[in-house]
Amino acid sequence: MQRVLVEGARASQVGVADSAGMGSVSQRQLEARTIYRPGELLEATPGLVASQHSGEGKANQFYLRGFNLDHGTDLRTTVDGMPVNQRSHAHGQGWTDLNFIIPELVARLDYNKGPYNASTGDFSSAGATAINYSSRLPQDQAIATAGQNGYGRALLAGSRDGDGGDSGGAGVPGGWLYALEAVHNDGPFTRGDNYRKLNAVLRYSAGFANNGYTITAMAYRGTWNATDQIPQRAVDSGLLGRFDGIDLTDGGQARRFSLSAAWARSDEKNTTRAHAYIINNRLELFSNFTYFLDDPVHGDQFAQPDRRVTSGFEASHSWHDHMDDMAWSTTLGVQAQNDNIFNALQHTEARQVLAAIRADHIVETSAALYLQQRLRVTPWLRGEAGVRLDRYRFVVGEARAGETLASPSISLAFGPWSRTELYLNAGRGFHSNDARGVTQAQDPATPLARSRGFELGLRSEAVKGLQTVLALYRLDFDSELVYLGDAGSTEAGRPSRRYGIEFSNYYKPFKWLSLDADLAFARGRFRGVASTPGDEGGNRIPGAVEGVAQLAATITPAGPWSGALRLRWFGPRPLVEDNSVRSKASATVNGRLAYKLAARTTLELEGFNLANRQLSAIDYFYESRLKGEAEPTAGIHFHPIEARSFRLSLNHAF
Amino acid sequence: MRFKAVPAAALLWCSAAAQAHNFHVGLTEISFNPRTGSTEVVHTYTAHDVEALLMNLYQRQFDLGLEEDQAVFRRYLEKQFRISVNGKPVALQWVGMQANVDSINVFQEIEKTTLPPGVVLVDGVLTDFLPQQVNNVNVSGPGRPAASIVFNRERREQPLP
Repeated sequence: MQRVLVEGARASQVGVADSAGMGSVSQRQLEARTIYRPGELLEATPGLVASQHSGEGKANQFYLRGFNLDHGTDLRTTVDGMPVNQRSHAHGQGWTDLNFIIPELVARLDYNKGPYNASTGDFSSAGATAINYSSRLPQDQAIATAGQNGYGRALLAGSRDGDGGDSGGAGVPGGWLYALEAVHNDGPFTRGDNYRKLNAVLRYSAGFANNGYTITAMAYRGTWNATDQIPQRAVDSGLLGRFDGIDLTDGGQARRFSLSAAWARSDEKNTTRAHAYIINNRLELFSNFTYFLDDPVHGDQFAQPDRRVTSGFEASHSWHDHMDDMAWSTTLGVQAQNDNIFNALQHTEARQVLAAIRADHIVETSAALYLQQRLRVTPWLRGEAGVRLDRYRFVVGEARAGETLASPSISLAFGPWSRTELYLNAGRGFHSNDARGVTQAQDPATPLARSRGFELGLRSEAVKGLQTVLALYRLDFDSELVYLGDAGSTEAGRPSRRYGIEFSNYYKPFKWLSLDADLAFARGRFRGVASTPGDEGGNRIPGAVEGVAQLAATITPAGPWSGALRLRWFGPRPLVEDNSVRSKASATVNGRLAYKLAARTTLELEGFNLANRQLSAIDYFYESRLKGEAEPTAGIHFHPIEARSFRLSLNHAF
Repeated sequence: MRFKAVPAAALLWCSAAAQAHNFHVGLTEISFNPRTGSTEVVHTYTAHDVEALLMNLYQRQFDLGLEEDQAVFRRYLEKQFRISVNGKPVALQWVGMQANVDSINVFQEIEKTTLPPGVVLVDGVLTDFLPQQVNNVNVSGPGRPAASIVFNRERREQPLP
């Protein structure tokens, strides 16, 4: 048999994408990445960094387009259409816990940077990522992994197609997909995280993605100890080691259960989609970031329990048609989401409640209507215009608030040259603020903080095997969500403006080699006068990342060996508004080496932080007091990046 | 030969639009090879249709140049294309597959045998996915008149003349 040459493993977006920041990452590309934790899957989006500043079960800390996105403030993530961001969350607005993701089930990761898409609303101003699970696997899989620092993982996943074959029309017999995962991880910490995770997925599907339906149940449970950030001064003085913790009772427990259904019908001129979901999330989270600052006797540990039921649906209908070179489609969609939330803030000691600071029952309801019109005039000119209308209602106890917001967007793609296109995008987006801040009697926050984006993009595949994307953007926010490191919460802050440039390259010079080079730089500044006394002197946005780079080589020769090396550079960040304290840039190298023992069995070695650099995963600047310190001290508090570690996996397909 | 990577979203969400651009025709040639003494079955399908089918079954893309990915289409084809005699299935050996930017060719054979009389053919390849799909099956062999039969969504099981 003649082998087929693959022109580009990364699918071409020329002639398809609406902007330079739009793309899709295939299952095979995701498989070739080293992933320390599931949240790092999102790093397949060029310019995105996912880190961890606490125990392994906590939501990641995300950075994109010059934002410190905290736990997901302006980055919308969905899994099979279900929103992952939790609004009005006890710990941080838009809380995005991705620990329930099973990477082996992910068929595709689609990303879309900037507020230029009418179908994504809340939290999507910096970007939106959509994870899509498969309905069936090409082969059943069993994976066993053992690694340093108490790492262990077992996964069993597979699918069964119903018999019957005699499907006639669209009724392909239904099939089942299942996956079971168990993980343990301690991490490099003196007191191990003892992170224990159990995770399961069961899906029934009938027909095809464009003509059929799926029903999916997911269950996740994780418990962990946390080593939160520690003061640099304690490490410098020799009081603490880099991997030591201070409050050994920090940690948490998370549970997520969901039931969702998706349905689609399509023919030559119409596509109708609908999906609905109900999600139950529970979090117990105990943190202590200031140690003995506020309470020198009992310590400052606080709990942020959050339990909620999120339910919602989305339905859309598209009409599409064409005539000669012209093609057009009109999409009308409706979305609705309700969150019934019980959350609290408590002062605790060793996880025992000392005082309830606040406890709230929040009902947050939103509905949206959107219209998208696409038109391809000629093969080299096409455009998209859209508008969405969002209505939010916040109820916290007896207090109520609401807002309606319209967000228009427009995109133009113009490419009369050889496989090269220019994009022009402009649009408005928003993020919702925490219901507790929106409904407070004194100085309430804007319910929906508006963003405005403008972007110029270029995409070229003129050179064989090379895909290049260049984007220049400006993004303004009426109110920036700011993370308060010492309080463990986010607050609505001043307006901001960001300029940025992103340059992404994917080069496949040979069949067996692909190279990635993604560079992103951003300049973010607050605008207007600081409301906080003492901050008048600065307009820097604490934690806003100034640059991100990833360089990677993936080698897949015809033989049994394959491998990849990836360098991640995480740029400097100002830590205070007057820029007098800054966080250093960091660079880490991860790699993987796989050997095919037999047709269906592969042995894989993954290495993390191969140069064993002693770096921070995150830095904050604030005041804290250690036991025995007479006075509070302001300084850098950091969470270390994991020391060099290896994991060995045996993967068997059957 | 080259296999063009088409964006996932285009295959999933625009497959209906793409359908409108194409004729969806499959061709299967069933003939006897006197040199080997076997009956050969050669299928030809439009590459885009097969990509869209697999994308809508698995939500991901495959490289049909790789053997492990060919197995995915093989599993589908062997379920959707079957030959039987008097209710008993006839063993169709998988010989191989070729993919290029336009079309997918699949080679099967019935080893060391001619097609006996009373053969019933089930051909539901792509007709379950694309309502407009038409599969033309041409049959020839020693002692049988050359015939051409049309399969579609409504006619997926027919006896060979």
